[in-house]
Amino acid sequence: MLKFDILVIGSGGSGMQAALVASSQQGLNVALMSKVFPTRSATCCAQGGTNAVLKNADPTDTIEKHTFDTVKGSDFLGDQDAIEFFCEHMPETIRELDYYGVPFSRLESGTIAQRPFGGQSAPRTCYSSDKVGSVILHTLYEQCLKNGVNVLVEWLLLDLVVENDRVTGVVAMDMKTGEIQPIMAKTVVLATGGAGRMYWLRTTNPFASTGDGMAAALRAGVALKDPEFVQFHPTGLAGTGILMSEACRGEGGYLLNNQGERFMKRYAPEKLELATRDLVSQAIEIEIKEGRGFGEGMQAYVQLDLRHLGREKILERLPQIRDLAITFEGIDPIDQPIPIRPSCHYSMGGIDVTDYRTCGTDLKGLYATGECACLSIHGANRLGGNSTADVVLFGKVAGKAAAEAAKTLDFGSEQKVNELVRQWENSFSSTVARTDGPSVASIRDRLSETMWYNVGVFRKESEMKKATQIIDELIAEYKKCVVGDPSKIYNTAFVQYTELGNLLLVAKAVVMGALNRKESRGSHKREDYMNRDDENFLKHTIISKQGSQYKLSYRPVVVTKYQPVERKY
Amino acid sequence: MRKITFKIQRFDGQESWIQEYTLDHQPGKTILWALIQIKETLDPSLNFTASCRHAICGACAVRVNGQATLACETPLDKMLKRWESDTLILEPLQNFKLIRDLVVDWEPKAERLAELKPWLMPKDEFNKESGCRQSPEDFKKINKNSDCILCGCCASECNKLSGNNSDFLEPFVFTKAQRFVADSRDKNPVERLSAAINHGAWKCQHCQECVTKCPKGLSPAEDISNLRQEAIAKGLVEHSGVRHAKAFLDDIQKTGRLNEGMMAVKTDGLVKSIGNIPFALRLMSKGKLNPAHMFPKPIKEVAEVRAIILAVKESEKARNIANAKRSEAHTNPDIQRPKEAAK
Ligand SMILES: Cc1cc2nc3c(=O)[nH]c(=O)nc-3n(C[C@H](O)[C@H](O)[C@H](O)COP(=O)(O)OP(=O)(O)OC[C@H]3O[C@@H](n4cnc5c(N)ncnc54)[C@H](O)[C@@H]3O)c2cc1C
Ligand code: SF4
Ligand code: SF4
Ligand code: FES
Repeated sequence: MLKFDILVIGSGGSGMQAALVASSQQGLNVALMSKVFPTRSATCCAQGGTNAVLKNADPTDTIEKHTFDTVKGSDFLGDQDAIEFFCEHMPETIRELDYYGVPFSRLESGTIAQRPFGGQSAPRTCYSSDKVGSVILHTLYEQCLKNGVNVLVEWLLLDLVVENDRVTGVVAMDMKTGEIQPIMAKTVVLATGGAGRMYWLRTTNPFASTGDGMAAALRAGVALKDPEFVQFHPTGLAGTGILMSEACRGEGGYLLNNQGERFMKRYAPEKLELATRDLVSQAIEIEIKEGRGFGEGMQAYVQLDLRHLGREKILERLPQIRDLAITFEGIDPIDQPIPIRPSCHYSMGGIDVTDYRTCGTDLKGLYATGECACLSIHGANRLGGNSTADVVLFGKVAGKAAAEAAKTLDFGSEQKVNELVRQWENSFSSTVARTDGPSVASIRDRLSETMWYNVGVFRKESEMKKATQIIDELIAEYKKCVVGDPSKIYNTAFVQYTELGNLLLVAKAVVMGALNRKESRGSHKREDYMNRDDENFLKHTIISKQGSQYKLSYRPVVVTKYQPVERKY
Repeated sequence: MRKITFKIQRFDGQESWIQEYTLDHQPGKTILWALIQIKETLDPSLNFTASCRHAICGACAVRVNGQATLACETPLDKMLKRWESDTLILEPLQNFKLIRDLVVDWEPKAERLAELKPWLMPKDEFNKESGCRQSPEDFKKINKNSDCILCGCCASECNKLSGNNSDFLEPFVFTKAQRFVADSRDKNPVERLSAAINHGAWKCQHCQECVTKCPKGLSPAEDISNLRQEAIAKGLVEHSGVRHAKAFLDDIQKTGRLNEGMMAVKTDGLVKSIGNIPFALRLMSKGKLNPAHMFPKPIKEVAEVRAIILAVKESEKARNIANAKRSEAHTNPDIQRPKEAAK
């Protein structure tokens, strides 16, 4: 049986950082598991940049400013102690990435270039042309090669194993052989990324962002925190949801309605297009709703205009953006405005991390980091450039803590993990043998439509009640779902089947959190409760699962320096 | 309704076969759209990989009519038009171990990638705490090659790799190596250079397949020749022995291929030691070898040299035409090549 001191699941920025730190310690046996080859992880999609107060582009920038921007951006739902820790440790983390070899864009002085980004009071977003995520991910992979990190490539986490109130290992499928394998581990770090695919086509996320880690945590009795906070990025391509980076607005792009008006001046008179994502997304949806968009229904959109930036600036600063617009929308931003619409971009909520200094959860031995986790530093709304930052810093924090803890723990018993393997083997056989029932794609499409129309940018009680009911139906139907491929070798149909199961579990938590949060805050915009309600809702939603029942509770937000005030941009 | 037929190479771990699927034509779609459509509406057992669906994760490379490409960014209509046919052949990448259908194994490639030590070895003046410094000009030198997404298109079509992969590495491995050799923060370009030489940098056949297939517009072939030039400039040829220099001359004599590395050769000694001037002239004729560099002293009879080069060029023409014909046949969709099963 495979046995590791530390098992990291997910090889995005966060997972690789965790594995690198853990494996730098002597005498520990570390493995990194991923359902995709490491450089395919969602982190590669990040275009715009990563925040850290380096003071390169603006010497007056301070940690306090970054902290306040993040607190304010979070609509005061972020835990301020965690945010302080985050902002304070970001500069050293970026410098270390520079030392690892990340090819950052540079200023004349030779220091890392920084650009302005939405919701921030100083240009502090470190970038590499418009591919920061890709170069960070590849650089971390290079470091893994250098350090001989043991990677289980194309292994799918199926479940966590819990015994005597601690995690003792996992059950996973080696996709290349189809074998369902028991793995023992003293500590497990979940770094499995977001769950944006519950909105399927209306998301910027890659196919792999299916909330697997969040769902596995739920099944293992670990709670999700603030799942209702789903960020909609204002500028997904109208047709596909493919992201036009925030850099478009950072570099000075305009948002126009069908009157040719820069409508953001009515919603955020000072920051205009550079207001936070939630505000800009909501503004766009209002424009569309009130008839000032182009097109109709799901096809409606507004325009992102870059033309005034000029050919040279577009070619130099936004070359990938231009390529994407040409390839996927048939439009060259040098000559024409780009049709865009908000698209699900990021899960602020996630696995309930109860100690940001370790990324530990309530389950002993289990750590969570990156987009699958909720510390919470992003609160009700994440600032652009704060996720890749979160990922590279807290990956290290989790890896280090998991390594320390592993030194004091023994392996659990093999019996429990073997039992769970047998259950999954049986479930595999009976599932792939089914020939009659709904298809995976049909359930998935109903889920995503339900989520977009009822739990999207704007929300209200009646619609969310409907969504709750539909999701329960879908969960029931899922049990009869047809996979359509009985083979064991690289069975992507079965992988997609398990991913859909995870999306359903997480979606149910999203709706439950949203329905019960009777206020508007950050990305969570209720038409029936238009204002923020600090008296009743300055608190984190905590949702856990017991059997098929979900349990809801709340936990206070940590406020240190900044008393909640109204957010204006 | 216009129908589009896809002939897809299937593989179940043992057997390999071609399966046909037909979809209704829809305008403005991609090859990835077609694959997803087939999986979701016709045959859930068809396997391929894709994640980002916008040309940044490198997961979706397949061969369309014998040309490696990213399924997600390849417009279906463009392919139908290019091949003037409503039938397309989809196959897995070549030069990879096949797992199932269009899914190939990247794990062995990771090991081969590591051969050239593709990670930054920071100069001693830098440290973890304060990071590095680099000028914008120096950043530009590594910016382009950092675009590689490890999609494998170059490796799939590399003629050298198809012929013999035991003394050569995937083109992207050299591209990665060149990215570190060119990185002003790195202290040890020589280590990567000598590794590149030892892993076949002289064996590239200059077929340019890697250049034309790279979805990110990179030029592994050029990177390979840069590595060679740099190796010579760094004195690596003299240094690590006449063995390489000689191997490289042998290569020229065997294959008649040019050798851009020579551009950097500034010593009379090596020029004389070539001993076989026509070969050197052939190199010049391809514009890859600058006579001014071959002869460190100013050349008096420039005109004469040019005339000779012209003559050599003429003699090359016939061969080029033959080559072009061959590669045309190679990419013709109507010619079905026998397929290798899993390697
Ligand atoms: C288009 C786009 C643009 C973005 N731009 C920016 C930006 O400019 N700045 C910024 O700060 N943030 C940006 N983000 C957000 C940021 O990129 C992500 O939040 C972050 O990279 C997530 O990293 P991660 O390490 O948590 O996980 P990911 O990179 O998502 O990786 C998840 C890993 O988990 C693995 N995994 C998942 N499930 C399983 C399973 N069941 N078994 C085994 N392995 C599994 C996957 O294989 C993968 O390796 C962007 C996101 C997108 C989608
Ligand atoms: S030019 Fe060289 S590296 Fe490129 S495909 Fe041809 S043989 Fe391979
Ligand atoms: S060099 Fe180009 S073709 Fe080759 S792996 Fe990199 S991106 Fe793909
Ligand atoms: S799906 Fe990511 S490159 Fe095509």
